[in-house]
Amino acid sequence: MSSENESKLGEFEAVVKDGAVDLLNKIEVGDFSGAIKIIQELSEARHNSFYNEVGYLTRSLHDAIRDFQLDSVEMMVQSGAGSTDADSDSPTRITDASDRLNYVIEMTSSAANKTMDMVDSSVPVASELQNQAKALHKDWSRLIQRDLTPQEFRDLYKRIDVFLKYTDESATTLHNNLNTILLEQGYQDLTGQVITRVNELIRDVEERLVHLVSVAGRVDSISGMEHEAENKERDDDRGHGPAINKNDNPEVLNNQDEVDDLLSSLGF
Amino acid sequence: MKILIVDDFSTMRRIIKNLLRDLGFTNTVEADDGTTALPILQTGTIDFLVTDWNMPGMTGIELLRAVRADEKLKTTPVLMVTAEAKRDQIIAAAQAGVNGYVVKPFTAVALKEKIEKIFERIDSAK
Repeated sequence: MSSENESKLGEFEAVVKDGAVDLLNKIEVGDFSGAIKIIQELSEARHNSFYNEVGYLTRSLHDAIRDFQLDSVEMMVQSGAGSTDADSDSPTRITDASDRLNYVIEMTSSAANKTMDMVDSSVPVASELQNQAKALHKDWSRLIQRDLTPQEFRDLYKRIDVFLKYTDESATTLHNNLNTILLEQGYQDLTGQVITRVNELIRDVEERLVHLVSVAGRVDSISGMEHEAENKERDDDRGHGPAINKNDNPEVLNNQDEVDDLLSSLGF
Repeated sequence: MKILIVDDFSTMRRIIKNLLRDLGFTNTVEADDGTTALPILQTGTIDFLVTDWNMPGMTGIELLRAVRADEKLKTTPVLMVTAEAKRDQIIAAAQAGVNGYVVKPFTAVALKEKIEKIFERIDSAK
């Protein structure tokens, strides 16, 4: 379609060139009414070319918008898992993506909580083992130094037995807790897959938006419309979220050491 | 010593709560943004505030400014624990009167160090 339009622009240029030669010829031979006629023809050609261009851009814009909508319908069909009825209430790929991201939040939150549950239930077990071992060790040292009464020795004998049993049970508990923590990390695989798919969708949508914007931009340029550029900079107060400083922006600090350096340079 | 932990993510509140417990601070309360934190602070029972920055409703920096502007609360020590790491933001937090700034993801050591530093300063100012 753009080559069609270019050829029309080419036609207009040819008309102007030919007209200019004719105009000079008419003026040279003194045919002024002929010359004015040519000027009028050129003016008409300019108008026609302008209208053609506007018409072409309007069509392109219309097509781009329609394609975008069609893509949304197609997105619905793709996400509708088995449903082929685009008019049904099946979610669009965008709402689907949003659901998927919510799923990521749920999964990561659940994994974090389960992991912390396991840590919470392991810490007292480890503390108890430590306390018992310390107490036994104290008496064990006295045994080595032959500093125990026979009754104390019999007590220690029994306590060692209890302790070994408790150690065995505790090790099993800790082992199970560690295994649960390990399995909980499976969220990374599942959420990773979800995020990869959402990423693909965002790239798709971006491509189509870029096309739409470029067509709309050409309409603006030929119609002379100007839009005030909005200040897109987000308010620092509202926050920006985690800094993923891929481009090594000097305005973004990368770690605690850099933050500490900045603060100490401010007299902290 | 009663500590208020403000973060919109319950997991992060739990992590901070557990780390504080390890440091011997067992008396903690939680809020999920500045709007819910402020009434708790205004009861006058909070000795130390640990807050995130980016939260729905009232953000951490707004909460910090509100605390510093309140005659009764203005001396409460405030530690910011946040993913926000823009130079201007850290400067803004310092100007608003933050006592410490920890960037996420953080280590238990970093949190401990900042908290100890804050209390050292408070003790030496007494």
